[in-house]
Amino acid sequence: MDIVRLQSEPINIDEALQTLHDESCGGQAVFLGTVRNAFEGRESRGLYYEAYHDLAIKEMERIAEELAREFNIVHGVMIHRVGELVLGEAAVLVATSAPHRAQAIAACQAGIDRIKERVPIWKKERWATGEAHWHHDPANLGETLL
Amino acid sequence: MAKITALFFSYAADRMSGRRRQFDIGDGATIEELFDQALAPTLREPIGAFMFSVNADWADRKTVLHDGDELAVIPPVSGG
Repeated sequence: MDIVRLQSEPINIDEALQTLHDESCGGQAVFLGTVRNAFEGRESRGLYYEAYHDLAIKEMERIAEELAREFNIVHGVMIHRVGELVLGEAAVLVATSAPHRAQAIAACQAGIDRIKERVPIWKKERWATGEAHWHHDPANLGETLL
Repeated sequence: MAKITALFFSYAADRMSGRRRQFDIGDGATIEELFDQALAPTLREPIGAFMFSVNADWADRKTVLHDGDELAVIPPVSGG
């Protein structure tokens, strides 16, 4: 994969598109995960992301190798933000190019699914009420964050 | 004796009131033993609620810790 990165700066989609470009590719797929204004019906003002940088990069590189092996992609980009994000910002980008569209789309879908499942990154919801809670915190059982 | 550094993330860091702490452990001590003796009372979750890594490689709870190791206590991830 061409780019695997965690960054605090906004994601530059043009960089990803330029990286995907290849005359052997007939398909490019781009997924952007963006910050929503609500979670499970509760109003939100944004997200804070933290990562265990060293292991997160290793795991993203493992996923990149899997995508190359399983889907025959030619180019790929995986970027995840860390730090404070406001509503509407892109938190994650997965982009792939392949000779055919089905490979590019399937690889892109698998990439984001595996990032969400395996990469040590955590998000904290900043509620409109001023409270903030980590997702998956068992202390919030019975609330909205499981 | 061995000295290891433990890293905490997400709600585990909140409960430990910090993201990094050093521990002196006995020779041959495992992640599970350190967890039971030093972490469980403060983390207030069973060991099965967490994954672990040692020196940024995934590790199971039976892994023996060595002097200078960096252990990470990893709650369920929520990226994306």
